[in-house]
Parts: sequence; structure tokens; C-alpha cells
Amino acid sequence: MFQYALRRLLISIPVIALATFIIFGAVTITGDPLQELRQAPNITQEQIDQIRESRGLDQPFYVQYWRWVTDIPTEGFGDYLISPRPIWPDLQRVMGNTLQLVIAAEVLAFVVAIALGTISAKRQYSVFDYATTTISFFGYSMPSFWFALILQLIVVQIFFATGVRIFPIANLSSADPGTGLAFVLDRMHHLVLPVISLAIFSIASYSRYMRASMLEVINSDYVRTARAKGLREGKITTRHAMRNALIPTITVAALSFGTLMSGAIVIETVFGLDGMGRYFILQLGRRDPYPIMAWLTVVAVIIVIFNLIADLVYGYLDPRIRYD
Amino acid sequence: MNGDYNAATASGRSPLPPGEPVLEVRDLHVEFRTRRGTLRAVNGVSWSLEPGETLAILGESGSGKSVSAQAIMGLIDSPPGFITEGEIRFRGEDLFALSEDRRRRIRGDGVAMVFQDALTALNPVFSVGWQIAETYRVHRGTSKREAYAKAAELLDRVGIPSAHERLNSYPHEFSGGMRQRAMIAMALALDPEVLIADEPTTALDVTVQAQIMDLLTELRSELGMGLVLITHDLAVVAENADRVAVMYAGRIVEEGTVSEVFTEPAHPYTLGLMHSIPPLHRRVAALDPIPGTPPNPARIPPGCPFHPRCAFARQHCREVEPPLERVGEGRASACHYWEEVKGGE
Repeated sequence: MFQYALRRLLISIPVIALATFIIFGAVTITGDPLQELRQAPNITQEQIDQIRESRGLDQPFYVQYWRWVTDIPTEGFGDYLISPRPIWPDLQRVMGNTLQLVIAAEVLAFVVAIALGTISAKRQYSVFDYATTTISFFGYSMPSFWFALILQLIVVQIFFATGVRIFPIANLSSADPGTGLAFVLDRMHHLVLPVISLAIFSIASYSRYMRASMLEVINSDYVRTARAKGLREGKITTRHAMRNALIPTITVAALSFGTLMSGAIVIETVFGLDGMGRYFILQLGRRDPYPIMAWLTVVAVIIVIFNLIADLVYGYLDPRIRYD
Repeated sequence: MNGDYNAATASGRSPLPPGEPVLEVRDLHVEFRTRRGTLRAVNGVSWSLEPGETLAILGESGSGKSVSAQAIMGLIDSPPGFITEGEIRFRGEDLFALSEDRRRRIRGDGVAMVFQDALTALNPVFSVGWQIAETYRVHRGTSKREAYAKAAELLDRVGIPSAHERLNSYPHEFSGGMRQRAMIAMALALDPEVLIADEPTTALDVTVQAQIMDLLTELRSELGMGLVLITHDLAVVAENADRVAVMYAGRIVEEGTVSEVFTEPAHPYTLGLMHSIPPLHRRVAALDPIPGTPPNPARIPPGCPFHPRCAFARQHCREVEPPLERVGEGRASACHYWEEVKGGE
């Protein structure tokens, strides 16, 4: 198992290296980073030349790439193009906030989907099964920003009707969030609606996969063996069937993590959260390639890490995968 | 701790009265209701098993032999499967009359089952030792350590070398023969009184087949349990069983001791099976198979289900289904003209 984990970890290094190359290449070919500056009336040609030289923009592509990528470990992602502020502290802050949102949504989606999928499969063609199928269909096809708006509307309507604010509909914290446990509770309270809006699509999708793999597993020979051993039906499902059925579902959940990150961009905008999504859109508007490249690299690393976690969970769940 | 059934069995089961069968199947009917119609898989099967006896249930695929075994274990998924008639008695107790919980406790404990393909019948994500120990823990409520010790003992008993080290191996790390041995060890965990082996050697190499059958026979006599051997393999029946029941289209068509049935078949189907074995000491140009194919369980022909393939068939066979009748000491045949079949050899 240790060897397996180490091997997965080593494979991620070239993946990330390749990702940085593609990111740099893709962002560079989209245009001259100095174009915006040239049109600004209060910036002189000398200033532009100075920026070009200090950034190495007059160098060939591979030199620029090498310079950028080798600076990451020592200097973070450097400064913004115009203002001499470092990118990394900003990115770190928004990344923390987004990860709270995305991980909470992923965990919620996974747990709810496992339960729904398992019960649906156990009671195939029951009212419950048809109901979850129909609701999943809606969850799958609803745009998440629309669903988020509906949730906000409902909360606002309840406030108008009763004067009670059930959940905040914007921001990550109250004006005076307090410290310690009070801060954490305040944050959780603020995240309820964003997390639900973000998770709904994943719940719909994962629960379908869980139902399908559970159906396959509960008709398998080893489940019949477990029954022949005289185990209780509940134990057969939660132990013998579920462990096998989780393997494909985890694949889907891990591969969808990227989708969830991109979903977060929309949700953060709707709820006005200071996260990676909002940051990305802000920087896109400024046409500054450096924070964009930094952002993409960080997302690539996050996705690689989650794939790594999925690989390790596989290895734990399925001994056939730990080839050692 | 596990209820009165285990309290009785843990301290050694009470002996059965002599002559009392340990397992008895009476007039069992099983059907599967599918969208394409009702498949009548088992149509009135009766047999009984004495303690320590080996009963072979012989039949082609689709003859209902596995379904009847699954009915005993309560493994038929309903829907689509329904047991429409009949009873199954284990130590005189009607299994269908028991509560689900009591039936569950008999599974694996009183009656255990070995399946055909141990690769798919063992759970791929748990170690072999864990799976064997689980049976023990669930029924006896012992500690994990004790159950693992028992599992090692069982693996050793079924002839797995260095059993203690192999406890943590997974099914995919075992060879086919070893997996089947592990499967047998799992079935034997609680000293069952009846072991149902459903095609236990079909998925194995010929040399391993013989080893596994020897092991089963040895364990049966050692433990004094009754063995129900479900197979399509005439050689396996000939070498290992005391009695044989031949199934065709969900019915028993002939029953008797192995030596009698094999030397003097009293049903045209059995006779056809015997003719389809290649003779060992004689050159033959071609084997003599039974013409036609077994009937579709959704459309079993009226009268005797075998009549479309039978050389002895006449008008009476097309109209009247022959009952399974006694044709001698411990022998039965479901053929109107059994005397002709038996005499005409």
C-alpha cells in the first residue's frame, strides 16, 4: 500500500509540470500582456519598456516559461503586472475560502448521493426510486445560478413574511463574526445556501452512479454468498455490497471535482463570496496574465491532489488495485 | 446469546431420530414471473437426504437443479422468483413457516452452500480469512481473534498450505483450486448438518476437480454431514454419490442408488445420458447424443416433458404427464413405459 501511494505521488509530479507548461503556453498565445497598458493614457513608452524588460517579455517563449516556472517555488507567483503587490497572499486567501465551500459541497453531495443511490437500488422501481430519479433529473438540468437565486428568493420571502433571517444570502462572514467557535459557526451559517446550490448538481449525478453500481453489485455472486452465510440484510448491504459499489462512484466524484471548482465560480458570484471564482473573474477583467496563470496552476494542483486522494481511497477499498 | 437455535447447536445438536431425514423437499414449485411470461423452473420436486448421505442432483443447465438448491437456502429473489407450492423441512421443521430471522440463522449454520465459481462468489475486497471469520462471528458472536484462529484452522483443514499466513490474502491472490477450498472452509465454519455444493468443480481444471471432490467426500464422512451434490457431470456423480436424482424440465424423472441408475436406467432421459458418455475401451465414430434440446421453461410441452426427444414416446406420453412412481427398492421413475426402457437395454 505504501509503495502504491508513493508511486501515485511520483506520477503527479510530471503531471503538474506539464500542466504549468500548457497553462503558460495557452495564456501567452492569447495576446500581448502589455496591450492594455499601451492604451492607457497616463503610462509612457519608457514605463512599458521597463516592465517588458523586467518581466523578460522580450525573451523567447521557452526562456520566459523557464523563468516563470522556476520562480514559483521561491517567489510564489510574483507580483501583479502593474502594482508591485505579490499575487500569492491574495490567492491564498481566496483559495482557503473556496476550498471550504467546495469541500463542504463535495462531502455533502457524496454522503447524500450514497444514501439516495443505495436506497434507490435496494428498492428498485419503488415510489422512492422513481421520486429520486425525477428529482435527480431536475437537479441535473437546473442551472446552479438559477437554483441559487431561487434559494435566495425563498429566504427573502420568508424574511418578509415572518421577519426571521434563516440564512444569510451573501458574504462569507457577518460584519462582526467573532472569534474561535463563534467564527466557525458564523462561517458555516453563511455557507449553507452556497453549499446546497453547489452540491445539488453533484448529488443528482453521483446518486445515479451509485444506484447503477449498487444494482450491479446486489445481484452479484458474492452478495448471494453473504446471504447464504446467514448475514443480516443490512450488514450485507452496508458491508459486502457498498464497499464494492463505492469504487466506481468514487471515480466519478474525484473526476467531477474540477466541475465543482468551476461551479464555484458561478456560485461565488451569485452569493458575493470572496473566493477563487470571483478573484478569477476580477483578474480576467484586468487582463493581467500573471494572476490568471497563478490561479490556473493552483487549480491544477488542487485537482491533482484530489485525484491522488481518490487513488488512495481506491487502493484502500479495492485490494486488486494495490499492485505491489 | 443468539437465540434458542444456537443455544441448542453450540452445545452439540440433538441427535435426529433414526431414519429421520435431515433435509426433506416436498412437492417444490418455483416459478419466475418475467415480462416475457412465467418460467416454471421447478415443478414438483421431492427428495430427502439422510444424515451423512451424498445425494447427487443431476441435470442439464436449466433443469431447475440450482434453483431448487437456492430455494432451500432462501436465495431466490422475489420478485421475480416465487415458491408457489411445496415445503422444505430441515430436521423436521418447515423452513417456509419460520420467521425470516430464524431462517437466517439456519443459513450457514444448519445448511451451508458452496457455489460454482469461487472467484465471483468470494467478495473481492475482503481478505479470505476475514470472510471465513465473518461467518463465525455473525453466528457465534465470538471475538475477532478467536474467529481468525478458527478461520486458520479451517483453511488448514481444507488443505491450504501455511494457512495462517494466507489469512490476509485476497481471493484474487489464490489459485482457482485454492479459492474453492477457501469457499468450502467458509461453508464448513459452523459444522453444518447439510452442505449443498452447487457445481463445485465446474469452474476448475480436471486435476483440481478430483482433488476438490476428494476433499468434499472426505470432509463429509469425517463430519457426518449430508451432502447435496448438484452437478451435470456424470463422472462426478458416479464417483462420489450414494443416490442420484435426475432432473429434467424442473422435475425429477428418475431416482435411485447410483449403481442401479447408472447400470439399469429406468427413464429414457437417463438412458440417453448414459449413451452420451464416450466409451473408454472402444473406438466409436460418433457419440450418440439425445436429439433436440431441453424445453424452454416458459413453454414446457404437455404430457411428459421429455416426449418430443424420446424414442419410446407414443400418444399416451403426449397427453398424460407420468408421475414419479416407485419402480423398485428405493427407486422411482417418471415414465409410463419404464419397464420397456429398463428391459430394452
